[in-house]
Amino acid sequence: MIRYIQESRLEELFRILSRRGPLYLPLAEGPSLSFRPWSEGAPVDLKTVNSTVSAKEIFLPREEAYFCYRRAGRELALEPLEQEAANAVAFGLRACDLRGLEMLDRVFKDQDPPDGLYLRRREQTAIVALACAEPAPYCFCSLFGIDPARAGGADLQAWWHGEGLCLKALTAAGEELLSSAGELLHEGPAGAEEPPRVETGNFGLKLEGLPAGLRERFDDPVWEELYRSCLGCGACTYICPTCYCFDLEDFGHQEKGERYRCWDSCMFREFTLMAGGHNPRPTRKERVRNRFLHKLQYYPERYGEIACTGCGRCLRSCPVDLNIVQVIRALGGESR
Amino acid sequence: MAQDNLNRDQATARIRAAVTQDLLSGRISLLLGWQKGLFWWRSRPLFARSQQDLERLVWDSFCAVNLSRYLPEELSIEERVGILVKGCDARAFHRLLQDRMLDRERVLLYGLPCPGMLDYRLLAEAGVKEAEQMLEEGEELVIQTGGGEERRPRTDFLLEKCRLCSHPDPVVYDQLLLPPGEPRMDPASRFQDLEARERPTPAERYAYWSGELQRCLSCYACRQVCPACSCRECFAEQQEPRWLGKGAGLNENMLFHIIRVYHGAGRCIECGECQRACPVGIPLLELSRRLAKDIEELYGPYEAGMDPEAPPPLLTYRPEDPAAFPEK
Repeated sequence: MIRYIQESRLEELFRILSRRGPLYLPLAEGPSLSFRPWSEGAPVDLKTVNSTVSAKEIFLPREEAYFCYRRAGRELALEPLEQEAANAVAFGLRACDLRGLEMLDRVFKDQDPPDGLYLRRREQTAIVALACAEPAPYCFCSLFGIDPARAGGADLQAWWHGEGLCLKALTAAGEELLSSAGELLHEGPAGAEEPPRVETGNFGLKLEGLPAGLRERFDDPVWEELYRSCLGCGACTYICPTCYCFDLEDFGHQEKGERYRCWDSCMFREFTLMAGGHNPRPTRKERVRNRFLHKLQYYPERYGEIACTGCGRCLRSCPVDLNIVQVIRALGGESR
Repeated sequence: MAQDNLNRDQATARIRAAVTQDLLSGRISLLLGWQKGLFWWRSRPLFARSQQDLERLVWDSFCAVNLSRYLPEELSIEERVGILVKGCDARAFHRLLQDRMLDRERVLLYGLPCPGMLDYRLLAEAGVKEAEQMLEEGEELVIQTGGGEERRPRTDFLLEKCRLCSHPDPVVYDQLLLPPGEPRMDPASRFQDLEARERPTPAERYAYWSGELQRCLSCYACRQVCPACSCRECFAEQQEPRWLGKGAGLNENMLFHIIRVYHGAGRCIECGECQRACPVGIPLLELSRRLAKDIEELYGPYEAGMDPEAPPPLLTYRPEDPAAFPEK
């Protein structure tokens, strides 16, 4: 059954959903858009495609503490940190965000043992996917078989219709979200049983030969050209929905502190810097190659799928316009 | 900007002709310029080594990337590098020269007076989706929208770094390829907008900058793109001693940005690449310009990157320099 809510009443819906726990929504921060816990009056933007930083940060935050440590004399005590409230809702994820989560799931969730921090956030968060009414010029998710109007792995699918949102539960958790909204929701309008079909462009790319053809291309001269303009910043990796590298650090001093993890980027020199000073990826060339081979070869060889969702964030945000489309083209993946 | 009545295609052809000659004769072994990017509103750096490469060269309203940043590394590979310089690229060149990051004799500068580069975000807000919807006619943009044709001043659509630029014409070159343009602003009054947005108390300043910096991703794009950031190893990534935690909390972000901007005080050429590069749109140019303004108030008029013989105020000592912290 399709339910419907007027756009003007969304604020009331957010109020209800946020009673359960943190409600993550795309919030405007200056010209940027990120998934953040909603609070009264927060600048929600459910129209712009896509958020500047991907929705991965709901599940793999920029930084996250494991535990606190305390030392008294020779005694060392580890104290688990207070867990965040359960029953979070992530609202407004796009189909490409969901595909990105699938990729992270394989790395953090579907392992033995799974990653506890990730698993907890994943299991405690209900996901409301929002269909894209119109793709952005950067979008090319159709290349990866993603339907921007139908997200896999969501509990609830939402789509714009007239002056409001249609809502369709996909799981029991989705049903529960709908029933919690009670009388705020009306019966869906006739003729709006499904989100309208949307397709993105694909920049003329083809994926045949990926990843198999890349094994022999590690020393291809094409990398020599591609890395030249790269500045060596980590913008692409931090906004990317499928980049998941992190680092561990301690914050504090000998007596007291906490151990946390935070995002890390293979574009940084010290990412592979070893004790003693050796660096197996000494220049930007090796680092650029690694980033893109991880997407196009290493991840697919291990998990069976190219680690790109076509979300277009690296196309939009790279300050020198070096992005995965350019790389796939340079590697010959362009249909002529 | 009326450029000798040359349109951009003709200008591009003139530039291409000039640099082709030098590349073919071996006067330079590499040319740093721009080529079309993935979208019509993007131009990306071009590293041209052949005539074939030069066919991709463009000079249009989207050549925002400051190319001088690439010079130190390219000069470690190439014998003699040619580079196209706008006003900001030229001042960045002076910055690098003054910081002894490059050898003047091994660089050939082709000057391009800059009309200012356009910001796609502003164009999109005005309803421009395709290149065909936007026509440049001198100082005006002719925009086709559903409702018809609209004429708007080109300056309405400039990147902020270009809107605030006080020297669009290159301040150094070996050869000027296009005729000089009209200045867009008087350098002496370049901080007027900051005065209008003064935040008088430390509490207000702290609140404002906390709000902006809390979303910093620590991606370091601002540092990587900066022609004044020349440390071989940035304090932010030094392992021993460890100055800065790797987390993305407000404390780390603020410490990083304060140190970054103080390192640039009196040296920053105000090219605004930090702000353009920032993926989350932090107004970093304002931060740098606030310091530039302080420097002027403390040490007298100074614009970094204008004259390589004029040392930055904080790198010199004069007995009459103010000694006390100003009371603000």
